[in-house]
Amino acid sequence: MSLWRLEVLRLVRTRRWVALFSVYLFFGFLGPVTARYLRDIVSFAGGDRSGVTITFPAAIPADGMARYVSNAVQIGTLVTVVVAAGALAFDSPPEMGVFLRSRVNRVSSILLPRLVIPFLAASAAFVIGALAAWYETWALIGALDTSRLLLGIGFGIVFIAFVVALVAAVAQWSRGLLATVMASVVALLVLPILGIASAVGRWLPTSLAQALANLPAGGEISPYIGASVVTMVSIAGLVWLALIGARRREL
Amino acid sequence: MIETVALTKAFGSKVALAAIDMVVPDGSIYGLVGPNGSGKTTLLRILAGLRRPTSGEVRLGARPGEVAVLPDTPHFDSWLTGREVASIAQRLSDPHGDPGQVDAVLQDAGLAEAAGRRVGGYSRGMLQRLGVACTIVGKPRLLLLDEPASALDPQGRREVLDLIARLRGTATVLFSSHILGDVQEVCDTVGVLDDGRLLFQGPLESLLIGAAVPRYTVRLRPPLEPIALSLRSADWVDSVEVVPPDQLLVRVRSLEAAESKLPETLAAAGARVVSYAPEEISLERAFLELTR
Repeated sequence: MSLWRLEVLRLVRTRRWVALFSVYLFFGFLGPVTARYLRDIVSFAGGDRSGVTITFPAAIPADGMARYVSNAVQIGTLVTVVVAAGALAFDSPPEMGVFLRSRVNRVSSILLPRLVIPFLAASAAFVIGALAAWYETWALIGALDTSRLLLGIGFGIVFIAFVVALVAAVAQWSRGLLATVMASVVALLVLPILGIASAVGRWLPTSLAQALANLPAGGEISPYIGASVVTMVSIAGLVWLALIGARRREL
Repeated sequence: MIETVALTKAFGSKVALAAIDMVVPDGSIYGLVGPNGSGKTTLLRILAGLRRPTSGEVRLGARPGEVAVLPDTPHFDSWLTGREVASIAQRLSDPHGDPGQVDAVLQDAGLAEAAGRRVGGYSRGMLQRLGVACTIVGKPRLLLLDEPASALDPQGRREVLDLIARLRGTATVLFSSHILGDVQEVCDTVGVLDDGRLLFQGPLESLLIGAAVPRYTVRLRPPLEPIALSLRSADWVDSVEVVPPDQLLVRVRSLEAAESKLPETLAAAGARVVSYAPEEISLERAFLELTR
C-alpha cells in the first residue's frame, strides 16, 4: 500500500471526508435560503414585537454566495485545519513517526501525500459547496456572473492551499495534534486582525477567502490577483519551512 | 556492520551517552542490556538516524532502506488492518518484494488470524508482534529492535525470540532489552550500557567468564561463623558472605583452586556439609557485578 492510498484511506475510514463535505454542502444549501428568506426568518423569530420594524432590501444573487462564504469560511476552514492536522502531525505519537521515518530515504515522501490529499479533499468540498450555493442562488434569487463566480472559487482554492501549507509548517515545528490545531487557528485569526490594523490587508492570504462573496457582487479583481501572488509565495515558504522542520526533528 | 566512535549525546547538561565506542559485527545478534534510563533507546535512535549525536561518529554498513527499526511501543493508525500495516512497511522498505511475504511474516509473528482486523483492537502484545512482522517484512540487512519482547506473554516471547534467532547469518540484529534471559538465549555478542557508558562489549562467553567472579554456594549445618572464618583465611578465597540460616557464598580467585581445596578446607574446619556447588554464572549476575 502506498503512502498516497494511506491518505485516501485516512479520509474515508475516519469519516473525515464526511465532516468536510457535510459542512461545505450544508452551508452551500443554507446560504442562499437564508439570503432569500431572511425577512421571513426574522419575522418568525419575532423581530417586530418591540414595535421596531426592520426593513430588508430585496435579496440580490450576490447575497446567496456572500451567505455561503460567511459561514463556510469560518467553520469550513476550522474543519480543514483539523483534517489537515490529523494527517500532517505524523510524529504524534513519536512511535508513529519512527514507523514511517525509518523506512523512507527522504521525509518529503511522507509529507507530500499528507499535504496534497487533504488539500484536494478540502478543495473538492469547498467547490461542491459553492456549486450547491450557486445552483440554489439561481433557483431562489437569480443568476450570477459565471466567470466571476468561477474566479472566486479559484481564489478560494488558493486560500485552502494556504491553510493546508500553514498547518504543515506548524505541525513540523510543534509537538502533537492539539498544539498543531491551536497554533494554526491562532495564526489564521491573527492574519485578518493584522489586515484591519494596516494597509496590507488586501494583500493577505485571508482576503482571498472573501473573493467568492465579493467578485459576483461586482468587486474588483485586481486586489485578489496581488493577494494570490503573495499567497503562492507564502505557500512555497510554508512548505519549505515544513520540510526543514521535518528534517530537523528528532524523535 | 555498525561502528560508533566517541558517540556522545547530551540533552542540555544531562549526558545521555558518553563517548560510546561500539562495534557490532556483521551477521551477529548483538544484545544491548542496561537498566531503564541507561541510554539504550537514545543509542538505537541515533543509529537509526532519528536523533543526531552531539558529537562522535556513526558508521553503518547498510543504506537507509536496508535498516529496519522497531520502537519499544509500536504505534500504528488504528483504522488500518494488520495486513495493511505490514503491506505499507513492505512497500516502503522493499517495494519490489513478493506480496505473499506479508502474509508469511504475519503467520510467523502469530498474527495470521488477526491479520484482517483493525489494529485499534489489538492488544499491546499483538502490536509488538505486528511491529516485529513489519520489521522483517522488508528483508532488511540491519535490524534495530528496542525491547522487542517486553510486552509479550511467555509464548509470544518464545515466538519472537525464535524469529530473531532465525535471522542469524542473514541479517545483523541489534536489540536492547532489560530481560537478560532473552539476551543470553539469543545473542552472541553483548554490550552493557549503564548511565550512558558502555561498560562492556564482546562475546557473551567473555562477559560470563571474565566479568563475573567465580562463586561457590555452600550449604551446611550451623554454626556458620567459625567455618566462614576458616575459609576467609585461605589464600584462594576472595570473600565469604554468610547467608542465614545455612548458606555461605564463597567468592574464590579461581574455580580450579576451589575444586581442589574447598573440600579439604571445609573438612579441616569441621564443617557438617549438606551440599556445595559452583554458582551458575548468569548474564544477570555478570550484569549486576558490572553495574553495581
